[in-house]
Amino acid sequence: MSIMSMPLPAAGRALRLEFKRNAVPYVLPLLAAVFYFDALRTADGFPPVWTLRASVIGDHMLFTFSAFAGGLAAWTGSREGRRNTLDLVASTPRAAWARLSVALAGTLCWVLLAFVAGVAVVYIQTALQATWGGPPLWPVFVGAAGVTAVTVIGFTAGVFFPGRFTAPLVAIGVLLLSQIGFRESLNLTASSGTYALLSPTTSPPGVDAGVYYRVAPDLSIVQVMFMGGIAVALYGVLGLAPRLRQLAWASGRPSLRAALARDDDWLPSAVAVLLVACGVAASATAFALAGTAKPDALGGWQIPALHSAASDQPVPAAQDCTSGSGFQVCVHPAFGFYLADVAAALAPVAAEIAGLPGAPVGAREVASLSGGQDVWSGISGNPPVFDFTAEHVGTMFGEFYGIPDSASWRDGFRQGLLDAFLEAPSQHAGPGPLDAAQQAVEDVLLTSVGSPPLGASSGQTAVNGKLKPATLADISVAAHRFGALSASARHAWLAAHLTALRAGHITLAQLP
Amino acid sequence: MNVALTDIHRSFGKNRAVDGVDLQLGTGVFGLLGPNGAGKTSMLRMLATVLPPTSGEIRLLERDPRRPAARREIRRRLGYLPQNLGYYPSFTVVEFIEYFALLKEIPSPQVPKAVAVAMERVDLGAKARAKLRTLSGGMLRRVGIAQAIVNDPDLLLLDEPTAGLDPEQRVQFRALMRSLGESVTVIVSTHLVEDVGAACSEVALMSAGKIVFRGTPEELTARGEGHSVGDAPLERGYSAVLAAARS
Repeated sequence: MSIMSMPLPAAGRALRLEFKRNAVPYVLPLLAAVFYFDALRTADGFPPVWTLRASVIGDHMLFTFSAFAGGLAAWTGSREGRRNTLDLVASTPRAAWARLSVALAGTLCWVLLAFVAGVAVVYIQTALQATWGGPPLWPVFVGAAGVTAVTVIGFTAGVFFPGRFTAPLVAIGVLLLSQIGFRESLNLTASSGTYALLSPTTSPPGVDAGVYYRVAPDLSIVQVMFMGGIAVALYGVLGLAPRLRQLAWASGRPSLRAALARDDDWLPSAVAVLLVACGVAASATAFALAGTAKPDALGGWQIPALHSAASDQPVPAAQDCTSGSGFQVCVHPAFGFYLADVAAALAPVAAEIAGLPGAPVGAREVASLSGGQDVWSGISGNPPVFDFTAEHVGTMFGEFYGIPDSASWRDGFRQGLLDAFLEAPSQHAGPGPLDAAQQAVEDVLLTSVGSPPLGASSGQTAVNGKLKPATLADISVAAHRFGALSASARHAWLAAHLTALRAGHITLAQLP
Repeated sequence: MNVALTDIHRSFGKNRAVDGVDLQLGTGVFGLLGPNGAGKTSMLRMLATVLPPTSGEIRLLERDPRRPAARREIRRRLGYLPQNLGYYPSFTVVEFIEYFALLKEIPSPQVPKAVAVAMERVDLGAKARAKLRTLSGGMLRRVGIAQAIVNDPDLLLLDEPTAGLDPEQRVQFRALMRSLGESVTVIVSTHLVEDVGAACSEVALMSAGKIVFRGTPEELTARGEGHSVGDAPLERGYSAVLAAARS
C-alpha cells in the first residue's frame, strides 16, 4: 500500500468533494475586487513593458493572494478540530496524512487557479498593449511558490491550532509578515547582508529592466527554493500531525511512554521526516545562497553559484525609428508605443536649434544603466545625437496614474534636450545645472515652441542649484529681452555665442 | 468473539474513566447503560480505536488494534457514531456520507451504491441534496448513523444514537439495530433505557468506570423488583443496580 494510501479514483472523488465545498469560492468576489483595485490598477499605471508589468505579481498580487490563501487554508486546516470531527475521522482506515493532503489540495487548487487567473488578466492586458517582448515566467513561478508556501503554512496552523480565530489571525500574520516583518527584520542594507532578497516583495524595477538585458533568474531561483522548501517541510510536518498530537496530549504524563511506544506505521512517519529534512535543507541552502548575492551591472542581483553569463548578454533588437528625412527619433521596440509622442515633443525644439553648432540631428533611446552606472541624457557622436533613456517615460505612464499632464511630460522631454544642448558636453556624467544666462536662453527657446519657460517656476529653478530666487526676476527680464528678438536674430546670436554660452562665459547682461 | 476486552483501564490524569473492564461480545445488539461520567464514551472511543487504553488488552474482530495493519483492517470493518457528531455544514447529505465512504476505503466504484443504501436505511433519500446546515438535529443524527453504516460494518459503535430522533424515527431505528444485530456486533451507549429494552439482546451497566451489571434486559428488569425509583420496570432495575453499586 502506498504511503498516502489513497488510490487515484478515490483521491479524485475526495478531491472533487473538497474542491466543490471549499471556502475559497465564497471570498473570490472580494479577492477579485482587491486584485482589481490594487494589482491590476497598479499594473495599468505602468508602461506596457513586460518586466515592469510583471513586477506587480511580487509587489501586489502575492501580498493580496497570500493573505487570503493563508486565512482560507487555516480555515480548512482547522476544520476537523473546529467542527469536532476528529474522533469520527480518526476511526476510519484512511491515513490522516492522506485526508489532510486532499483537503489541502482542494484549497491549493482554488488559490492557485485564482492566482493564475490574476496573472493571466495582467498578462493578457499587457500583451494587448506591449510592442515588444513576451511574458516573463519567473515572477509567476515565484508568485506561485509564495502562494503555495503561505497556503501550506496556513493549513498547518489550522491543523495544529484549530479554532475560529485561527484563520483571521493567520491572514493578519501573513499581511504583517509580508509588509513589514520580513523586509524590516532583515533590513536590506550593505551591512546587514542580502537575506531580505528572499522576500519576493520588491520595489518596481527600472522602467527598462529586462529590455536591453535579460533579468537574471538567480534571485527567482533562490526565492522559489526558499518558499518551496518551507512548503515541503511543513507538508512533512502535516504527515507527523497525529503523532505530534499524541505526544502533545501525553506530554508530562505517564502515558507519554505509551504514546512513544505505540506501534504506529513507521513508513509514513519516515517519509514525513524525510520531507521535513529536504524542505529545511532547501530553505537553508536558499538562505545561504541569498547571503552571497551581489548587485550586478544591470541593476539587478546575481548569485555567483547560480549565475549564467548568458543572461548578461544584450538582448538583440532593432530600434523603432521615425521615418522621413528630418529629425529622426529612435526608441527600443519595447517603447515603440511612445515613439510618436517623443518625436512630436522633440521635433519643434530640434527645428528651433537646427543648424547651430552641436545641434543634434536625431534622438535615440539608450539603456538607463551601463556598467552599473546610471546613464543620463546628453548629446554625443558625430553627427550629434541626443541620447535619452526610458526613464523619461516614467513608471507611471499608464492609464490609472497615466501621464497626469501630458503637456508637462512633453515639456520635460524638451527641457531635457535643451539642457543637453546648452550645457558644455558632458555625456554620461549626469545633468549639470544651467547658469542664469543658459536658463534665460532655454526659457526663450521653450517659449518659442509653446512650452512654458522654466524660469517661470521659482520652485523648479531654485532647485537648479546655481540660481537663487533673487536672480529669477533678472532671468525673466533677460529672457523677455532675448525673446523679443526675431527668430533669425536669435539664431544668429546663438550661432555666434553658443560656445561661450555653454562655457558659462555669458552673463544675463550680455544677452541681447 | 468480535470484541474481547481484558482488564482495560483508561485514565485522564488522576481520573480513572475506565477501571478494569473485561468484556467478550459476539454478534447481537449490546446496550451500554450508565449515568453521566460512568466511562461509556471513553469505552466506545477505545473500541473505535481512537483512544488507546492506558493498560489492558483489546481485541476487535479477532485482531490487535495496536498493530497498524490490524488497526487499519478493524477500521475498515468498523462503524462509529460519536456522542457529539461533528459535521461540515457546507456538505450535502450525500457528499458527507460519500466522504466517509471514501475514508473507510470502500472501493471507489462501489461508493455511490453504498451511499444510496445507507441513506435508504435511515430514510434520508428525500434529503440527499440538502446541505447539512439546513438539517434538524434529528436529521443530522440520521446522517451520522448513515455514515456509520455506509461500509456495512461488522462492529458498529453507537453513542447516544437516538438522541434527537422523534418517536417514529426511534422505532424505525430500533428495528434497524435489531436487523443489524442479526449478523454483526452492535454496541449502543445510551441514557434511554427504553431503547435498550426494545432493541438489545444483552446489556451492561457501567458506574465509575466499572461494569457493575451484565445480563439481558429481562434480568435487569428483575433486579428492580421491590425498588421504588423509576417509572418503568427497566428503569427500576437500572436504579436498583446503580444504588447497589454505590452503596
